[in-house]
Amino acid sequence: MNTVRANTWAAAIVVVWTFVATMASAQEYAKWYKQSEQHFLELKQKAGGGTKLTWDKLPDWTGIWTRQGGTRFDPKVPNYDPTTAKLTPEYKAKFEKKLADHNKGLEWDSLSYCLPAGFPRWLTEPFLREFVVRPEEVWWINEQQSEVRRIYTDGRGHVPEDEAYPLWTGDSIGFWDGDTLVVHTINNKEGQYNRGQPDYSDKVSVVEKIRKVDAVTIEDDITVYDPLSLVEPWHVAQRFVRVSTPNLRINMWSCEENNNVVKAPDGATQFILKGEKGYRDPDKLITGPEQAQTPKQ
Amino acid sequence: MKKAVLAACVAAGILGMGTVQVSAHHSSSMYDRDKEVELAGTIKQFQYTNPHSWLIVTVVGKDGTTVDWGFESEGPSSLLRAGIKISSLKPGEQVVVKGHPLRDGRPAAGLVSVAKADGSVLSPDAARRRGPGGKPIDAPATP
Repeated sequence: MNTVRANTWAAAIVVVWTFVATMASAQEYAKWYKQSEQHFLELKQKAGGGTKLTWDKLPDWTGIWTRQGGTRFDPKVPNYDPTTAKLTPEYKAKFEKKLADHNKGLEWDSLSYCLPAGFPRWLTEPFLREFVVRPEEVWWINEQQSEVRRIYTDGRGHVPEDEAYPLWTGDSIGFWDGDTLVVHTINNKEGQYNRGQPDYSDKVSVVEKIRKVDAVTIEDDITVYDPLSLVEPWHVAQRFVRVSTPNLRINMWSCEENNNVVKAPDGATQFILKGEKGYRDPDKLITGPEQAQTPKQ
Repeated sequence: MKKAVLAACVAAGILGMGTVQVSAHHSSSMYDRDKEVELAGTIKQFQYTNPHSWLIVTVVGKDGTTVDWGFESEGPSSLLRAGIKISSLKPGEQVVVKGHPLRDGRPAAGLVSVAKADGSVLSPDAARRRGPGGKPIDAPATP
């Protein structure tokens, strides 16, 4: 009888503790989200609610652009170096393990499955980019995976909470403060800033101020909020520079076109080479026999 | 040149500097960046594809056996920025190729450069010299 009573009390304590912990976490998420949203709303208030741009007043962001500073989220710090992000103990430990695994030759990237980068990692992807600026919407096109990030500037809010779910490029709304595009992005999938950089959770939200600083440079002033991975917001400035190579265009980018990268049993990244079992010949993807890919043992 | 090109050779050594490929799609930990192979052979295929391009080069060993080596590089737009067009490397051409080899010894490497029979040298690393006004795009970023 006493055992039953003790177990009942123990169960009750666990239930209460779980409830309190969940409430505390929910409050923590809410606080950070509020902070991020507040940041965005304060900028909007300072901008007098934002500038309503008409077709003839749109900034000229035409051309093809690419990242400056490789794939670093904070351009000042090389990948695999200590990060400038102030990480929580859990994410600090994850990052340290990631670096230790890399030093042992063990590194795998979900991009190798041909998955999209996800946001905010999306910002660090190299290769080509293009902006399509309209009064009510900005499309930021990324060559890799032919991804389009849509930033709505027509005054709409985020998707209602009961309809929201994590998205590869998040839910972005924005406004114009003169020639600066201010953006708030929520509802992202968990991910990593890039290889050799920390991870972030699906509670991450981002405030950006994007501006063309001269004819060949667009700067993105970025503040990242994430209650699970960061102990304080992370601020970085990234730059995109105009590419002037003749005849260069952004074409459809298919990751499956020639992907013979596989995850080895130990977690390392490996190739299946031409002539090996399981190799998917790019010339025979459409007409050739379907083959399962298996890592070389 | 032809004789030199036909004489297949493999040279591996410790290098003080190496190129850094922009590889957004996969880890490059399978390559030994401290080593470089240099191989002479004949182009079998140039896969000008995403997410990466592959140059397949048939190399004849001293014993007369042939091995197809794969050299991985960046996708078409990055190569074009480096001046490497799909027409730049044709099957049947004789070339000398440098690359960082796979750690496991299989015949593949991350492409460093291709020397053509006409004396020209193609390098994907040149992509980083194709920014506005000739400024390096991947130079350490301005704070």
